[in-house]
Amino acid sequence: MNVQEVLQSRLLLVTGKGGTGKTTLSATVGRLSAQRGRRTIVCEVDTFRPALTSVLGRKPGYAPTRVAPGLDICNVTWREALVEWLGDTVPGKRIVKAILDNRVVQPFLEATPGLRETVILSRIVKLCDQYDQVVVDMPASGHAISLLGVPGVAMNLMRAGPIRDRAQQIKARLSRRDTALVIVALPEEMVVNETVELWERLHQEVPQLQRPMVVLNRSAVPSLSKDETALLGRLDADPELIGNAAARELLVAGRWEAGLERGTAEALERLGAEFGSNVVHFARLGALGGFDGGPERIVQQLAAALARQELAERQA
Amino acid sequence: MKIQQLLSEKDLIICVGSGGVGKTTTAAAIGLQAARDGRKVLVLTIDPAKRLANSLGLKRFGNDETQIDLTPLPDATGELWAMMLDNQKTFDDLIEKLAPDEEARANILSNRIYRATADNISGSQEYMATEKLYDVVHSGRYDLVVLDTPPVKNALDFLEAPGRLARFLDKRVMKWFLQPYDEGRVFGKLLMGTSAVVFRLLGYIFGREFLAELAEYFHHFRDLYEGFAARHQAVIDLFGDRRTAFLIVSAPNGPSLEVAEFFLDELGRRRMHNPGMIVNQRHVTDSGALKAKDVLGERAAALAADLPAHTAGQLLARLGASHRRLRELSAVEDGLVGALMRRMRHGQAVWSVPRLEEDVHDLPSLGRIGEHLCDDPELIGR
Repeated sequence: MNVQEVLQSRLLLVTGKGGTGKTTLSATVGRLSAQRGRRTIVCEVDTFRPALTSVLGRKPGYAPTRVAPGLDICNVTWREALVEWLGDTVPGKRIVKAILDNRVVQPFLEATPGLRETVILSRIVKLCDQYDQVVVDMPASGHAISLLGVPGVAMNLMRAGPIRDRAQQIKARLSRRDTALVIVALPEEMVVNETVELWERLHQEVPQLQRPMVVLNRSAVPSLSKDETALLGRLDADPELIGNAAARELLVAGRWEAGLERGTAEALERLGAEFGSNVVHFARLGALGGFDGGPERIVQQLAAALARQELAERQA
Repeated sequence: MKIQQLLSEKDLIICVGSGGVGKTTTAAAIGLQAARDGRKVLVLTIDPAKRLANSLGLKRFGNDETQIDLTPLPDATGELWAMMLDNQKTFDDLIEKLAPDEEARANILSNRIYRATADNISGSQEYMATEKLYDVVHSGRYDLVVLDTPPVKNALDFLEAPGRLARFLDKRVMKWFLQPYDEGRVFGKLLMGTSAVVFRLLGYIFGREFLAELAEYFHHFRDLYEGFAARHQAVIDLFGDRRTAFLIVSAPNGPSLEVAEFFLDELGRRRMHNPGMIVNQRHVTDSGALKAKDVLGERAAALAADLPAHTAGQLLARLGASHRRLRELSAVEDGLVGALMRRMRHGQAVWSVPRLEEDVHDLPSLGRIGEHLCDDPELIGR
């Protein structure tokens, strides 16, 4: 899965360890696709405090909200998705109302294994028929696996009926060539390990998913030459500088950035070995490495970087 | 409040916060610090990084309480134990304990829906964490239990986990659902009115076979209900106990501080004891602006005698730039943390841990984090 395929996908699932920048990346792809004239929606999955609010400036509700020309956002909340799902599945509004008004049925539906996930995914699959691209800002690692793995579980449990049919539709959608997966990572050993493990487990649970594109966020481009690195080492070890607070602080700062550069190189090597050429890296932006400069600016810069990468792929 | 006081006064410390902020590491460092101060501590963790787990000798599955060898830290007078949570095992153990007889137990453990629920369904991890927590806290084996909570997108999940299974096994729900089965009829036949309609509908939606199996599942669980309800209440009581403290763990960036703010509000609203927040991975600079050439120029020139002429100058320029960026970053972090501190309550504390240069994956580095936590925190309103 490369940038071109990701940008052209109909359904794009974005996951990764917590704090890696999933929401920002989802918003970025959504923004870019909308600018290219595709009708696009970015979805959060049943979140209590939608993170998209801080990136796209509007709080998403269940019904799609327009945030820019061609760009909608929504939050696929379970209760609303259930109402819609029942409406689609059960003939007659009166019967749906009878179900929803029944006080004991509510907790029953909430507790029935797999229903929640199936209903949420159903809504997402349905959106795929209404938009050119549906970008899903998925839950973090383990929760993403449970969410995507549930249709398989439901199909094992239910041998007939609308849930089984729906689970089958979801599975079919996940197997399509135009369904793409992106895992967002950071140049830190722990995050890289978790990224590799996440794909191993996802591949096992949902074998029909295609190999993902991995985005290495907040990476640092190597800047120190070999000679400079050697000199930094000598200054670090220099007995005359021990006790010189100002010198120590400059050296700490130097080691800090050298460490970030080394971390990026190691992460790229490891991810390259696991995912081949489908690893894209984005530079740190601003002092906080991606969190300042305003969300709008970050989304714009990431979008430009994605577009450049796509161009490079086309030329290659 | 100093962290040492917290570690000696509390029986249970629960670390909450968003993913990727060093929650697991913090929980381990807190546990280690308490063990160094002489307490017998269990750290209950969800999914530690492999290297940390390996270097501590933790087993990945099976809920084994493993004693950590503290010989690398000769000053430690207590004991440190750790356990990695195994969802399925915890659930199985629970059934084992609550089932009235051998047959009931075997029935539940072999039910397909039970297997799927324990394995795959979201929320079961949070529930099992609280379940195991109840177990170890009440075992009396430890002076202090430190819980590392699972990373949740919806931060409320964790606090609400005990309620979910209780709702699931709500007596009214089960009674209503099991009614037609108890009377030994095919469902729907005996029922009148709305219930009959709803039942027929559920049969249509889920398939009758599944519904029958689900009824069997509920049926088996019915005998266990009292036990579940009692444990649910016990966990709720435990959360509110004055010997329990919730510590919020955050990194100094916008998204994780937003989650921290949410926890501050939520814990306050629920009147749970929250002494404050730990901010990890802070970038700290002690001096003001520095001119690298003035500070290091002479030594760099002396040490670079055998290197190409421009090396020293270029390195100094880079060091100067790195330092400027570090100061800028530090100022941004101070601003973000400061803004949240203005929203905290009188008497709450903020403990800061500077970013360590090394990867934290062994006891000595965990120990260093613990030592930083022992520094005086910033107190709100003083």
